[in-house]
Amino acid sequence: MKEFFSNKRKVRGFKEFLYILPFLILVLIFSYYPLYGWVYAFFDYKPPFPLSWDKFVGLKWFKSMVENDIKLKQLLTVMRNTFAMSGISLFFSWFPMIFAVFLNEIKCKPFQKVVQTVTTLPNFISWVLVYSIAYSVFNSTGVVNSIGMKLGLFDTPQMFLQSADHIWFKMWLWLTWKNAGWAAIMYLAAIAGIDEELKEAAKVDGASRMQIIRYITIPSILPTYFVLVMLNLANFLSNGMEQYFVFQNAFNKDSIQVLDLYVYNLAMGSGGYSLSTAISILKSVVSIILLCVTNKVSKLIRGEGFI
Amino acid sequence: MKSKKLVSLLCMVALTATMLAGCGGTSDTGSGTTSDSGSSTAATTDSGNAGTADTADDGAASGDAMTLEFFDVAANYQGVQTGWFAKVVKDRFNIELNIIAPQVAGDAIYQTRASSGNLGDILILESGQFKECVEAGLVKDISSDIWNYSNLSGFKEQIDMLNNSLEGNDGKTYGIPTEMMNTSPTSYSQDVIYSSPLLRWDLYKELGCPDIADLDGLLDVLEEMMKNHPTNDAGDACYPMSLWPDWDGGDGMLGIANVVQLTTWYGEKIKGSVILKPDGTFIPLTDKDGSYYKMLKFLYNANKRGLVDPDSATQDWNAACAKMSAGQVYLMWYSWQVGFWNSTDRLKDGTAFIFTPVADQSYYTDADSYYGSGRVFAVGSQVDDAKYQKILEFLDWYASPEGLMFQHAGIEGFNYEKGDDGRFYIKNSNALMDNLPVPEEWGGAGYNDGNNAINQWIVSANSTNPLTGETYATTYWSTYKEETMTDMKKEWAERFGADEPVGYMKANNKLVISPNVSVSLPTDTADIGVIRNQCNETICDYSWRMIYASDDASFDALWDEMSATMDGFGFQDLMKFDTEKHQIEVDAKNAVAK
Repeated sequence: MKEFFSNKRKVRGFKEFLYILPFLILVLIFSYYPLYGWVYAFFDYKPPFPLSWDKFVGLKWFKSMVENDIKLKQLLTVMRNTFAMSGISLFFSWFPMIFAVFLNEIKCKPFQKVVQTVTTLPNFISWVLVYSIAYSVFNSTGVVNSIGMKLGLFDTPQMFLQSADHIWFKMWLWLTWKNAGWAAIMYLAAIAGIDEELKEAAKVDGASRMQIIRYITIPSILPTYFVLVMLNLANFLSNGMEQYFVFQNAFNKDSIQVLDLYVYNLAMGSGGYSLSTAISILKSVVSIILLCVTNKVSKLIRGEGFI
Repeated sequence: MKSKKLVSLLCMVALTATMLAGCGGTSDTGSGTTSDSGSSTAATTDSGNAGTADTADDGAASGDAMTLEFFDVAANYQGVQTGWFAKVVKDRFNIELNIIAPQVAGDAIYQTRASSGNLGDILILESGQFKECVEAGLVKDISSDIWNYSNLSGFKEQIDMLNNSLEGNDGKTYGIPTEMMNTSPTSYSQDVIYSSPLLRWDLYKELGCPDIADLDGLLDVLEEMMKNHPTNDAGDACYPMSLWPDWDGGDGMLGIANVVQLTTWYGEKIKGSVILKPDGTFIPLTDKDGSYYKMLKFLYNANKRGLVDPDSATQDWNAACAKMSAGQVYLMWYSWQVGFWNSTDRLKDGTAFIFTPVADQSYYTDADSYYGSGRVFAVGSQVDDAKYQKILEFLDWYASPEGLMFQHAGIEGFNYEKGDDGRFYIKNSNALMDNLPVPEEWGGAGYNDGNNAINQWIVSANSTNPLTGETYATTYWSTYKEETMTDMKKEWAERFGADEPVGYMKANNKLVISPNVSVSLPTDTADIGVIRNQCNETICDYSWRMIYASDDASFDALWDEMSATMDGFGFQDLMKFDTEKHQIEVDAKNAVAK
């Protein structure tokens, strides 16, 4: 002990350890302690009885997910929806970047600010309110139906919210309407960090605006883009449930029920806590695998990983 | 350099402190938020109630009110009871009620509080929860004291019936049923039943009050009404039926709430995954001869004729309410639904909704809730002696004529008064609707704001008050009936040869009264719970799609697909479970009927 305190380097190391200790504890409490909840997946858990009263059932809930064709089919449908909707978001993930680039090109500053504010605001509206807006606009007596019927486009009210046609794309549109402005902020910051001299030099060399965008702006913000894409990849299975929860109805549920929503619908309906925990565990495992894979891919392509 | 170190050290300390403070559920940090000032509104903290109240009421000085935690599955309000009802209770018992409402806080609060071993001081639980909580030791045995209280003892038969139905109970008393009545378990003493076809009298009269033979006849009438009045007075489009999906699958039922309710028109009652026929036998919900199929087809036919609001599957309850209040619907089926339209004025000018018989129907109704309506009042197992005493005193008063008049009729002199002829007359009938200000002597504030937030009664409003000989419910007072005997009511009585809807049903043998019993039924195991949930989602989704199906063939194809999917989720097991579960109830009903 005495030796420890006489060794200056060790004391310093210990002190520095103390600095990060609170954060370590924080991570332990909020990120690792909750994993204890995973035990519920291995019991026939039923409130209000304590876990010690419940029966240990091993992997029963995991097996029951795939025990017959119909259950398997449902799980596959859910996975399909999850992958489809995450895939669409991923496929269009360049959209906020391009939006930011063009926004940056607007020369009239007040107009630029207005556009940016207007597109950022929807991010602060909750999904429940977004659905209220959607309902007011698209219900049988809403704006779209009223105008459509006045113009004679159709003679009975169209039930837009009830149809499952192109639902994935529609969901992406809502998501983009809500998020594009917010997502662009990161890129705007990256663009602001580009050295002005580069652009000026290009201008002197006679580069057009499009050429500056193509050869200077976009390559400079690509690293930001890649980091964000890879973080999104790790979240591939967690596309959140709020949006789909408010938009779901009997007609589109087959195409809209994603994994998070499925877990919620299972657990909150009548307390299928054990089964939903089992599904969450699987989800976490798959997410970790995805993260490792993207990290490997990143190492191969860019020469550096991000974890 | 020194100051930098100091700052970082301070930061670290602050961070650790905040972190630890966040973890301590029962730490002292809470006591500061619980006000001892006696003001009833100050202590309304929604999030902090888990840890705070325990520390507060033990330490309170004897002059201060005692705060009781009231775990209440019936309440729609969370926090300390305020206003006139709080004053009534405080004046009598010097207690404050801190209501914990799962309907507000979410069902998870039941789970978390139950696992902490203390649900609350006073409890109102669902019947299944009550059974589980007794098993888990969360409910106090009140056998030795309850019979010292005269008002509660008056219901000894009913209270014993409930407690004896608990499995393995040897004569102990744990709970008190809700909504008990002093009539009989086989009688029905209200004027209307919970669900029956209700039509606008003026529109029906306009068509010449035709006889309605069956559901198709009902659709003919509705179609005529819609043709004559495609919009309401404000010019908004009207559809005879407007449905809403919010309530689907609630209360452990399987299927769309609206359809489940309509099945009682043919004397059948859906019990979970099975249908109880009038002869006491069970058939599966997915049986094509059952009433779920029949009523779903009815809605499908209605939609084919364009009588169903196209927004039905996507609107929420509030949107549906707005349409009812605006006169955009022509058919209602819940007895309380008419409250959105019928008013004294509309009853007078004949534009109100009223029951209209359909010849081939006979209506299912639950009898008077003599043995109780299913929920249970109980005392938490962790209360100390002082609290225990107060709780029993309070519950006894809650079941007394004085307490019941406060609960069901309101404040004497404000909501009602005694006339010169000795009968009670209603005053300020809009007190609840318009939140009228209450006189200062009763604590002031709005009537609705201070109304009893417990929202559940030990004795039903339809019971007779021994002091007056009339019901507690104001709408059955002779003075009220005289006032509401309008031309419309007289015309109706003349057309159908009875004074009231239930009178008509009884006279024409169209009322299936299911005796009231008090049994404790098995609760879902973890497996059955999951099956029930998945089957319910399936049946609800398919049902909505069937209502909007394009033709008969696709309707039936969807039905078959639904049955197959539900079987895959384990519907057969669920059905077996539900049949056995509800057979217990049917056996008890048969015993009472004899």
